[in-house]
Amino acid sequence: MAAGSPYLRVSYAETNRIFPEPYQRVVVTAALVALLAVPFFGSGYLLHLMNLTFLAVIGAVGLNLLTGYCGQVSLGHASFMAIGAFVTAILTNLYAAPFWLAVPASCIIGAAVGFVVGLPALRFRGIYLAITTLAMHYAIIFILTTYQAKFGSSATAGISIPAPVIGSWQIEGGRSWYYVLLLTGVATVLFGLNLSRSYVGRAWVAIRDRDIAAASVGINVTRFKLLAFVTSAALAALAGSLGAYFSGVVTVEAYTLELAILYLAMIIVGGMGSIAGSVLGAVFMTLLPFWIEHGFDMLPPNWRLGSTSYGLQEAAIGIVIILFLLFEPKGLIEIYRRIALYFERWPFRYRELSPAERR
Amino acid sequence: MTTQPAQTDPLLDVRQLEVVYNHVATAVQGVSIEVRRGDIVTMIGTNGSGKTTTLRAISGFLPAEDVAITDGTIVFDKTSIVGTMPHLISRRGIVLVPERSKLFETLTVQENLHFNLTRQRREIRDKVLGYFPRLAERQSQVAGYLSGGEKQMLAIGMALMCEPKLLLVDELSLGLAPIVTHEIMTILQTINRDLGLAMLIVEQNAAAALGVASFGYVLEGGRVVFKGPAATLMQHQDIKEFYLGGGEGKSRSYRDLRQYARKRRWWG
Amino acid sequence: MELLVSIIVLGTTYALLAAGIVIVYKASRVVNFAHGELAIVGAYVFYSVAIMMPGHSLPLTIAVTAIVSVIFGVIVYFALMRSLLGQPTFVAAMVTIGVAIIFKAAIVVVWQSKSVGVNLGRQILYTYPGGGRLTAVDLITVIAGVLFFAAMFGFFGYTRLGRQFRGAAENPLLASQRQVNVNLILALAWGTAVFAASLAGVLFGSRSMLSPQSTIIGLSGLTAALVGGLDSLRGAIIGGMLVATATFITARLIDPALSEAVPFAILLVVMCWRPWGLFGTPEELNRV
Repeated sequence: MAAGSPYLRVSYAETNRIFPEPYQRVVVTAALVALLAVPFFGSGYLLHLMNLTFLAVIGAVGLNLLTGYCGQVSLGHASFMAIGAFVTAILTNLYAAPFWLAVPASCIIGAAVGFVVGLPALRFRGIYLAITTLAMHYAIIFILTTYQAKFGSSATAGISIPAPVIGSWQIEGGRSWYYVLLLTGVATVLFGLNLSRSYVGRAWVAIRDRDIAAASVGINVTRFKLLAFVTSAALAALAGSLGAYFSGVVTVEAYTLELAILYLAMIIVGGMGSIAGSVLGAVFMTLLPFWIEHGFDMLPPNWRLGSTSYGLQEAAIGIVIILFLLFEPKGLIEIYRRIALYFERWPFRYRELSPAERR
Repeated sequence: MTTQPAQTDPLLDVRQLEVVYNHVATAVQGVSIEVRRGDIVTMIGTNGSGKTTTLRAISGFLPAEDVAITDGTIVFDKTSIVGTMPHLISRRGIVLVPERSKLFETLTVQENLHFNLTRQRREIRDKVLGYFPRLAERQSQVAGYLSGGEKQMLAIGMALMCEPKLLLVDELSLGLAPIVTHEIMTILQTINRDLGLAMLIVEQNAAAALGVASFGYVLEGGRVVFKGPAATLMQHQDIKEFYLGGGEGKSRSYRDLRQYARKRRWWG
Repeated sequence: MELLVSIIVLGTTYALLAAGIVIVYKASRVVNFAHGELAIVGAYVFYSVAIMMPGHSLPLTIAVTAIVSVIFGVIVYFALMRSLLGQPTFVAAMVTIGVAIIFKAAIVVVWQSKSVGVNLGRQILYTYPGGGRLTAVDLITVIAGVLFFAAMFGFFGYTRLGRQFRGAAENPLLASQRQVNVNLILALAWGTAVFAASLAGVLFGSRSMLSPQSTIIGLSGLTAALVGGLDSLRGAIIGGMLVATATFITARLIDPALSEAVPFAILLVVMCWRPWGLFGTPEELNRV
């Protein structure tokens, strides 16, 4: 970094750093230390929430790479997660596959499915692609439902999975899961950050902004679109597989279209085309129902709405999607950027001139 | 420079108009234009000189378009129309024949022509078919398959159906054979004479436009660099050189040309 | 014969659903993912209005429901979709998904997910030799469908507003420059679409019980619209009939459980073979 201004960049390497500002490195290190320390004083409930959040982060980063960076709208994310979960269930139950084998295998199969689902993307854009992935979602879920009905213990009970073992360490309980999921989540975020600042990420952004122009500057659109689907599906399958181990049971009912929409909501709320945004969005959307529940608990007893609170939790997802799209389409990360920019520029705030001043 | 004779009440009075696209790209900076009742006025200029943007600003922008009038006034018939929705402006009597996509290509010729037909407007429809008999022959054809000239005729006919007080015509000659351009220009002149309809015609084909107009503006780089009666413009040395082609018939020395180029830049 | 009648009745319902999707798509290039939800909420509204109306008067109920659903559509347009004009269609589609979630939740909150039916008339008009029955609802469905489509074709083909609607759908800016209030046209589109959805929902609810899960009929409607072509009203009829035929034939000849899979199976086939639909225009693929 050049002496003088911390914001002056003199080489591409400097602009390309993951955390270009020194303060960011400090903040991130502090946050990591804090996250590592949480299990020593956090309650079991908190750990459970954080574990759910880490799973959501993995899935949201995957979806953001596909939809936010490459611009391919996918309503099939829940089915990728279902694939991951079911492959894990089948491998552990039928072949007694160990953890370290089942998880990568799920990712690979998820990636293969992502490749197939991504094939229509070569022909369609935008809404038509979304509709195709919607149809793919229902097709995959239909196949899995049939499988579960035939080979599960019963049609609705799902398939149970034993707690995973690495070496002699059995991963069980909130605390051990916390470290496993934290590690995977951080690794996924780093993977996403690195991908987004490499030539792959730049190619995706180019395809998102204008696929024809991208092709004309020598980007193999076919290859990179498929790569986006494969990467995204692999990460979704990873989230699905870990989620299956985490909850100990796999049911197809968990992987509805609503789940796919929830993940889309995460990246919309957090910020499309931003890895940090996916993290923020995943945290926000995972905690939203709990916040609403707490909000209701604080109301006087006769105001509580009983069973309707479930409906309101559902409605909240829709309301949040609409509010963000209408009023903050770039998501939470844009709010953060505005705040950061305010402090970076302080006290020299940018102000639009009035017509009288411009004369 | 010739100054326009002072007017008490122009039909359209644009002053110091400034239009900005996407909050950053200023396409028009300080254009002032006047159109008197019953006049044909023309704006000429090269690509990107701001002619189309000026017309678009007069006829109004949709909220969905990322463009704004940041400064200046547009007064039509004594009322300001800045920031008015296009459909309200066209109801007031300013009707634009755009450069591209000037008609509904999936509708038939008749449907286009009858787009805002009312009982009172049947007379106008008959008049339009009188001006452009070719449209009557093609009534049931889909408008997208018309030839360029016929499209232009239909577009003008459609615009007339809106009962305009001021007709804005953008780049009439685009993609048309010179003979067709001339034919339509002549019809426009007839319409102007018959109905007393004021027109503001934007053209790259300066000769054709100045042929029918009574007053002209030359735009460059988003500014008016020259204005005057059409006859004066036609005789002007620079206009001949830059817009009418050839000039005196002999090319000048490189040195002189350089000077002109510098002069133009100074204006623009 | 009996099968044919069943197909036509179900096909009419699907065609009405598809028509609503087509009208909104044509007008604003927005694929409405909330259509099934709007339909079922419309049916629930009908149910509630029928209870409230004095003497359970059917014509009054129909009128009130129609007005309410048109108002729903206009509200959705002015409150949400209007500010999205000019934005990528993905954003508008996501907003309709948000609307879908809210309406589905409304069924839970307002109607407590109650499983209800709508009574339009269950009189048996005719009993087939095989024992199947033709009921008044079947007849009403077909008549309503024919009336709706006749009205739509008449409107689009022969009225000034219909011409202006088609013009605004093709080129909103030019329509606006030709004295047409595009906002009004789009609000009208949404009003008509939600009306059609409610109509389909009520007809659906008069044959089977309503629940939040019924909103899945939106998928059948979307499939029907895509089969026919998202920008073709004619296609909506054909698409509805084809989807209904495929559903019935699968249920009768192969396996009733498989019939659930029919809409998205057709969807996949259509997307592979002719994504712009039977009557649609291929250029649409690049417009959204």
